[in-house]
Amino acid sequence: MSNYHELKQKNLVWKLIAYVVMIIFTVLTIGPLIWLLYSSFKPHIDIIHNIFAFPASFYTDNFVQAWKLGRLGIYMLNSIFYSVAATSITTFLALAAGYAFAKFKYRISGFFYFFFIMGLLITVHSVLVPLFVMETKLGIDDTRLGVLLPYVAFGLPMLIYLATAYIKGIPDSLEEAAVIDGAGYLTIFRTVIVPMAAPVTATMIIFSFLGNWNEFVFVLTLTSKTSLRSLPVGVNAFAAGQTMNYGVQFAALVIATAPMIIFYLLFHKQLAKGFAAGALKE
Amino acid sequence: MTEKTLKKVSYAALTAPSILIYAFIIIFPILFSLSLSFTEWTGFGTPKFVGLEQYVRMFTDSVFLHGLRNNLLVVGISVFGQIPLGFVLAYIIYRQLVKATGFFETMIFLPITIAAVVVAILWAQIFSPAGLYTALMRRIYDDPRYVLKIFENKTWAMLPVLFVILWMYTGMYMIIFIANMQKISPSVIEASIIDGASEGQILGRVILPSMVNIIFTTAVLAISGSLKSFDLIYAMTSGGPAHYTEVIAIYMYVNTFKYYNYGFGSAVSIVIVILSLGLILLVRSVFRRFEEKYE
Repeated sequence: MSNYHELKQKNLVWKLIAYVVMIIFTVLTIGPLIWLLYSSFKPHIDIIHNIFAFPASFYTDNFVQAWKLGRLGIYMLNSIFYSVAATSITTFLALAAGYAFAKFKYRISGFFYFFFIMGLLITVHSVLVPLFVMETKLGIDDTRLGVLLPYVAFGLPMLIYLATAYIKGIPDSLEEAAVIDGAGYLTIFRTVIVPMAAPVTATMIIFSFLGNWNEFVFVLTLTSKTSLRSLPVGVNAFAAGQTMNYGVQFAALVIATAPMIIFYLLFHKQLAKGFAAGALKE
Repeated sequence: MTEKTLKKVSYAALTAPSILIYAFIIIFPILFSLSLSFTEWTGFGTPKFVGLEQYVRMFTDSVFLHGLRNNLLVVGISVFGQIPLGFVLAYIIYRQLVKATGFFETMIFLPITIAAVVVAILWAQIFSPAGLYTALMRRIYDDPRYVLKIFENKTWAMLPVLFVILWMYTGMYMIIFIANMQKISPSVIEASIIDGASEGQILGRVILPSMVNIIFTTAVLAISGSLKSFDLIYAMTSGGPAHYTEVIAIYMYVNTFKYYNYGFGSAVSIVIVILSLGLILLVRSVFRRFEEKYE
């Protein structure tokens, strides 16, 4: 029995270490974010005076100023447009391609699939220069289309990977039954595959939306008009310059972050699934 | 239309849009970039063929070499910092060594959802002379004139940047490890507990060996992710002061879009691709050996 006792004590030590690690890590992670949130309700002078103190009153002027001066309304609308449009297009295309790769037993599918999977290793920066040159030549630089195309192209590899893996798992018997009923492939895609793939579609949408919402470098290089810029690029241009008014800077950061944090707290299960699935290849 | 052609046409309809967009936006530009990298071009007129000159210029530029070193530091902190830390956190949650695992998991993963640019501006403030870190150190050292001088030091200027990278991405590796640990059959662990295995033995003999493949995959993710690191450093320091915190993606960006050296910028981006593939192959061969040892 004493052996059992010893083991219990040892495990207690492990638990204690575990708590210490977890608490340190959690405080380090959310501490700065909580500090940012409550400081955004302090006027600049109070932040300089005592950087730790909680706000003395509920000062919302920072938010009004950040929203107006920073033109965050325009950036917010652009971000919503880019994210919604790119996510819907990419998810739809990836489901279609995933169906073709998973269920049509063509040899060439393996080649195409590999083609897309290699895209996971390609960095955005390796295509930036030629993409910029191409878009200028075609006259689609500084347009919404010019931003959406690279969003879709770089989103495809991951989503095609997720879609293909999932659709492979849908039993063949279901579509065979539809074939016997005389349905065409596109009808099968619409009436069998899309409904059956709903769980993976949710993961794909959430994963893709997050990536598109936070995307930075394409909007930075492919647009120059303020009216086309997204929240990350707009906030970077505006907030980075507000070192003379930290209250406004913090409010701008909070405005840029809040939608995603709410989105995350609502969907963190699916989001985690997307990230986890991304590492399950091989 | 026969059944066979119908199938072929359907296949084309389903795949063609994806393949065309992908080829047009990614494949074609990479080939374009490769050919531009052997030329000198400012965006006007015809590119002038200069052979390997751009590559020679790059590897003799001390700014580039320092950027390369910084990139390797980012790779290092990702592979030897984020992955082990993420693993430890995942293990604690998976084995439920603490209560409220859901809460901890959600909070540690949270930074991933924030735009890198926002994280960068936040931490730039924290490390600035009027920032939170400075104020904290002034209290701890009881010295009202304390300022963080690390950015002025060429050797150590990357340290705060590396810390922020660790802060932001560790949660992602944690989530990946948790998802894969959950696939281990619980009966295996129960059996080892009945056999009297300690927590350390469960970790070393049951969990770690079944995670070798996943550790490899996360290493690949970490390497390709590290070489892509741009947003965070661009918004936090812009590579400054005096290029001390510059990474090659920023070096490429500045040379292309500020100095209009398209040929040179292309050469740098080709080096990024080669470097990332090279490192991944290296990691792969290391893991091959490791696996052989285990089997």
